[in-house]
Amino acid sequence: MIHKTSPEVGGMGHPIKRKEDLRFIQGKGNYVDDVHLPGMVYGQLVRSPYAHARLKSINTEQAKKLPGVLAVITGEDLAKANLAWMPTLSYDKQMVLATGKVLFQSQEVAFVVAEDRYTAADAAELVAVEYEELPVLVDPKKALDPDSPVLREDREQKNNHIFHWEVGDRNATEQVFQNAAVKASVQAFFQRCHPAPLETCGCVVDFNRATGKLTVYMTSQAPHAHRTVFALVGGIPEQNIRVISPDIGGGFGNKVPVYPGYVCAIVASLTLGVPVKWIETRSENLQSTGFARDYHMTAEIAADRDGKMQALRVKTLADHGAFNAAAQPTKFPAGLFSICTGSYDYPTAFCEVDGVYTNKAPGGIAYRCSFRVTEAAYLIERVVDVLALELKMDPAELRRKNFIPASKFPYKSSLGWTYDSGNYEAAMKLALDKIGYAQLRKEQQERRKKGELMGIGISSFTEIVGAGPAHTFDILGIKMFDSCEIRVHPTGKAIARMGTKSQGQGHETTYAQIVAQELGIPAADVSVEEGDTDTAPYGLGTYASRSTPTSGAATAVAARKIRDKAKKIAAYLLECSENDLEWEPGKFFVKGAPSKAKTIQEIAFAAYTNIPPGLEAGLEAVDYYDPPNLTFPFGTYVCVVDIDKGTGEVKVRRFVAVDDCGNIINPMIVEGQIHGGLTEGLGIAFMQQIDYDESGNVQGGSFQDYLLPTAVETPHWETDKTCTPSPHHPFGAKGVGESPNVGSPAAFVNAVVDALSHLGVKHIDMPIAPWKVWNILKEKGITS
Amino acid sequence: MAMKIEKNFQVQEPVEKVWAFLCDPRKVATCVPGAQITEQVDEKTYKGTVSVKVGPSVTDYRGEVEIVRLDALNHEIELLGKGQDVRGRGSASLKMSGRLRTMPDGGTEVTSVSELSVVGILAQMGARVITEVSNIMFDQFSKNFQARLRQPSEQSEPPAPTQVEPIKASSLAWEAAKGLLRKKS
Repeated sequence: MIHKTSPEVGGMGHPIKRKEDLRFIQGKGNYVDDVHLPGMVYGQLVRSPYAHARLKSINTEQAKKLPGVLAVITGEDLAKANLAWMPTLSYDKQMVLATGKVLFQSQEVAFVVAEDRYTAADAAELVAVEYEELPVLVDPKKALDPDSPVLREDREQKNNHIFHWEVGDRNATEQVFQNAAVKASVQAFFQRCHPAPLETCGCVVDFNRATGKLTVYMTSQAPHAHRTVFALVGGIPEQNIRVISPDIGGGFGNKVPVYPGYVCAIVASLTLGVPVKWIETRSENLQSTGFARDYHMTAEIAADRDGKMQALRVKTLADHGAFNAAAQPTKFPAGLFSICTGSYDYPTAFCEVDGVYTNKAPGGIAYRCSFRVTEAAYLIERVVDVLALELKMDPAELRRKNFIPASKFPYKSSLGWTYDSGNYEAAMKLALDKIGYAQLRKEQQERRKKGELMGIGISSFTEIVGAGPAHTFDILGIKMFDSCEIRVHPTGKAIARMGTKSQGQGHETTYAQIVAQELGIPAADVSVEEGDTDTAPYGLGTYASRSTPTSGAATAVAARKIRDKAKKIAAYLLECSENDLEWEPGKFFVKGAPSKAKTIQEIAFAAYTNIPPGLEAGLEAVDYYDPPNLTFPFGTYVCVVDIDKGTGEVKVRRFVAVDDCGNIINPMIVEGQIHGGLTEGLGIAFMQQIDYDESGNVQGGSFQDYLLPTAVETPHWETDKTCTPSPHHPFGAKGVGESPNVGSPAAFVNAVVDALSHLGVKHIDMPIAPWKVWNILKEKGITS
Repeated sequence: MAMKIEKNFQVQEPVEKVWAFLCDPRKVATCVPGAQITEQVDEKTYKGTVSVKVGPSVTDYRGEVEIVRLDALNHEIELLGKGQDVRGRGSASLKMSGRLRTMPDGGTEVTSVSELSVVGILAQMGARVITEVSNIMFDQFSKNFQARLRQPSEQSEPPAPTQVEPIKASSLAWEAAKGLLRKKS
């Protein structure tokens, strides 16, 4: 039970306004491109127009002659410093600047440095690169053909296969399928999409020759991890590297990897001894930085005739592009994709994933998703609907019948995860009641009689977030704990610093609320600082909905350490034994005599002015929190769509989202997160794809083709919640930022398929653009 | 991206006259909007440039045209053109086969099949309009072709290479948009 603080204190559960918005709405944010340093120069990348070509020569003479140009760096130059390649987050390596050949369109080939941005851009056009075109592989299935050209000549393994990963019991699953009364299957392609944060990636690198200090202002979701990578790869002493992640305009996983542009800017600043700024254009961001998904998935369910699911089998081909630069914990080449049994109680399951190289941009990052969880949730929620069609059973009823019952938690899934807590039926019931499900089904029947197309889609997803326990999770060997350090000042105000980094999540507000909850210091009196590796404690950063489960937990634990010391000081001040004291947020008082009390502010002052004998001065604590398990947020989303028969346009009439993320820190921020994630999910379901033509030309490499939903396309979101606290988290929270992106694509697609299911439609791949629906309607004779 | 374009037009000139014109890439190049031949390498190979302006950026292709096959008896010709953008933004290649046929009225029918392949920024940005743009280029080409044929023979010597106007982006985009609209209605 969470003790509710007063609105003035603003602890857990208060919808206090976001502190950071004061500067953002006044245009006073400080993003990387706002950083201007004396003598700063600009970098521009030269990129390959070819998806696969041998580099015959690079002539930089013309570019160097342009007035204002300071340097042109090529892969050969970097090779001399052993920097032509860099490690990825997946134990692969990636070219910083191409040597030998290029492997995807827009690959980095040279880096021009000039006195201003325009000169740098002009000079980049003057770098003459001679290419010899090579056969292009864009189809991951073809990439596995023995006859296909080997893309990665640098590897010992002479094919395009990256990894095979499997989990579960293959033979037992096979047996169940052989004897199954009913089988359902779906082949679903989760298209290549891109987080497209409104702020593209970039950095300002400032190497000070006098002090030897390298300061890197960069768009980083994981500043400490990046500092360590720079130290290890560049051989620079780590104490001489300071990474500063200022305000970040959206990350969504896109700002987790290290990109060639950062490395080139570092090399340029080290070489020239002046600050170097490099900022991507929109197209550079879309075409070369971490994409998401590109999973070709097959799922099959074996079930009884009455709809009880018996086994799940999943086979996936994962297109990772030219380099395996996926973001994931070391032991999980397909991330946490094995959460694909979802909210259902499968006695048996088997899942396998094969990764391949193609001539596409590298990545596979976790776009608002805890490492491939979106793919998994989409797949299971899609195939469950296909089974419902097969059984002619209501999809809600089928889900209810197969949910992991609330009484079974903690629940060990057949693919090995221990779900912390859940009550799936309650969330689904609330969502169905809220939308008026029974009435909608009746309406659908009536509309069908009139020839109108209306569909209802359900998605009862389960997430797995908050990586993670150090015994299982690390990235490049660094364990995935996270941290918080709190210092209480003499006047009772405080500063808290974390190893995570907000990119819009509202950390400055929510972490302050945790401190307020635990210490009773008003949230307004707590400043939160992240993103400066010289001041913040070490941590792995913000992605995979891990901030609240890890750093949020660390904040609570650090605050409790402070409270323990505060108790000693209070006992000294009140001249009583610690055992006689009781706590309520904001003060210690003597049991049975509430007027004999010391507030946290009085205690803080004493910590610097009237220190008890034998106790250290000051009031501060640090905690590195290693979570005992992941957390498993869940929810049910219900979507109602109407389809225009003439144009194929899908209109989302209603969308109800019921989320359960355990105990909530700030309900307003949670709701905002859900609105944002649902809007992204809408874009993915209906509008977005980074596609490639047969020559490897990017289709979807600018906002002309890669569409973002605006207020015009976005429907009204109706949100609600149930609350099933995490039993192992210090204050029962689970993490929420990614749920709406994970859970919503299936709800949208299920609704569209439901509208067309009576015509025999079982599946449509995203993005469901009007032309796709129109073609189906035409094929079915519904429209002419 | 790759595409195949088939075109067919008629000129009111005898087949031999048209054939003589068609076999000389220097003459044909003057009909291609934004193109010019800069150098003859050998009997069958020529160097040249083509400029296409899309928005603020000009793509200048520099490359070679080669006559792969010449069948005077059947009046058939096959050309292979390849060019790279001078600013490294991509490349284009064109395989074109042309055939002439005498019409009953004494005129000549020109039939061409072109396979065009574009790699780079033009193929990224212009994927949706590039077929229309190519159609317009071919229409302009056929108009120029007919106009040049009608000129008195003494003037049909290729002009000295001059600064050639690139194909205009704005008008092309507009024409392409109109083309798309026409298709739908």
